[in-house]
Amino acid sequence: MLNEERIALMTRMASYEAGEGKRNMQIGRFFRGDYVAIQVLKSFVSATISFLMIFAIYVYYNLESFMEELYEIDLLAFARDILTKYAWFVGVYIVIAYIVCTVKYAHSRRNLHAYYNNLKKLGHMYQK
Amino acid sequence: MAKLLEIREQIKSVYSRLEWILIPVGKLILAGIVLMVLNNRMGYMIRIDNGMIVLLAALMCAFLPTGAILLFATLFAMLHLYALSLEVAVLGLVVFLLIYLLYLRFAPGESLVVVGTALLCAWKMPYMVPIVMGLVGSAASAVSVACGVLAFGFLDIVTDNATNISTMADEETLVKLRMVVDALLANRQMMALALIFAATTIVVYLIRRLSIEHAWTIAIVAGLIFDMVMLLVADLFYDLELSFLNIFLVSLLSFVVAMVLQFFRFCVDYGRTERVQFEDDEYYYYVKAIPKMMMPQSSRTVKRINQTRHGAMVTGRVGRRGSVEEETGTEEDYEEFHQEFARRNSGRSASVLDDDGGFGFESFEDVRPAGSRYRSASGSGRTRYAGMDDDYTSRPEGRDADDAGDGDGAGDYEELF
Repeated sequence: MLNEERIALMTRMASYEAGEGKRNMQIGRFFRGDYVAIQVLKSFVSATISFLMIFAIYVYYNLESFMEELYEIDLLAFARDILTKYAWFVGVYIVIAYIVCTVKYAHSRRNLHAYYNNLKKLGHMYQK
Repeated sequence: MAKLLEIREQIKSVYSRLEWILIPVGKLILAGIVLMVLNNRMGYMIRIDNGMIVLLAALMCAFLPTGAILLFATLFAMLHLYALSLEVAVLGLVVFLLIYLLYLRFAPGESLVVVGTALLCAWKMPYMVPIVMGLVGSAASAVSVACGVLAFGFLDIVTDNATNISTMADEETLVKLRMVVDALLANRQMMALALIFAATTIVVYLIRRLSIEHAWTIAIVAGLIFDMVMLLVADLFYDLELSFLNIFLVSLLSFVVAMVLQFFRFCVDYGRTERVQFEDDEYYYYVKAIPKMMMPQSSRTVKRINQTRHGAMVTGRVGRRGSVEEETGTEEDYEEFHQEFARRNSGRSASVLDDDGGFGFESFEDVRPAGSRYRSASGSGRTRYAGMDDDYTSRPEGRDADDAGDGDGAGDYEELF
């Protein structure tokens, strides 16, 4: 005998598993701290690459003036200036990434919690 | 309204039934359009400005995840830029990589928004995007819309300066780069559009999530007004050279599109709003529940009228949602029904009976004239309609009419349903 309630629940769960659930399960495998740390690390790498690319374009764009003033500019001050900008860029990006990842993790856990509850409910339905 | 709701349900039903083919076809068409627009606007590399290559790439996009459309669009754009100038291609790579590394890495699902925004920018209809994304997207969509505008802005600048770039000598690499970077940084229209669209997306998103009546409609109207006012202000201050007739017309179109979207996504009946209040151990709950407007779709059921295992013909009324009805009627009524039935099954006169010895057709309500009645004559070992030819109620050979298990056709009629 078909149980409509059970079929509806299973369909909903299957739909979740195929879509958002797949991503959520990947996130759910980690502890919150681990997940956020990995994402922040990835963000650090991304931000560094991005900054380097922008810096390379900046240097190339100003190549002529750099070549002319190479012996006149204070390289130490210049490096300090660039590193400060780099720290700001990476710092702001990592803070944003931290907030995004924390929210994402909480959202995934909440959805997974509902999914596991449904799984239990389904188990009870089969036991009846 | 009832008719519209019924049409909506039908569309949803068709979509859910044909989703497996509609999504790949949609991706194929979108990818094809995006790549063709890129080829038409840029077209510096002759080898990829080819219908077959576009078709091949679009076909691959149809079966790959949605992000593949952005990937192929980026690849095509990069190849065209490379054909124009290596320096510009490097700059393009930096721009696209920045978009990916800084944003799309977090929201891979938003790649379609970036592509869609750039495409609508090319068609001079970008004002539609923030309204639509504010309704169906999230706050993060604001960044996607801005990225789409920036990506299009970059390609547009390159296209505008393509003649100058192509006439320069290969040694003038620095000049080429500077020309594009200067044009990019001086493009106030692109910057203003990116900021205004991002702000509009957030405004629409915030208003449509408010717990107020007609939140979606208010969000649409407020978003359109905000968008137009901000564009007007930006034009006054920075002289963006925007066409306000175009903005107005596209805004009107956006309104229509947004209302259609609302009809499909958020069609509720505020007249039947319910407010309930209850409590548990920890909280008091004040709940406002607004019912969705729904129209149950009329469904046709196809039932087969088969012989029972013991050989008796069992028939039953076939109607909407399988309701069973025993009816009586006149010979004239049945004649009309019979003619209609025979017409619909023309060419099947003898083959009305299928392999199982039964026959199937759509709802009787479709083939039976309105108000007509038919009679189920039972008890003779087979159930037949009054006036029905024996062709339609034939028994298997070697079987007596009373061999229907219990010899009661009427009983079998009931059992069937």
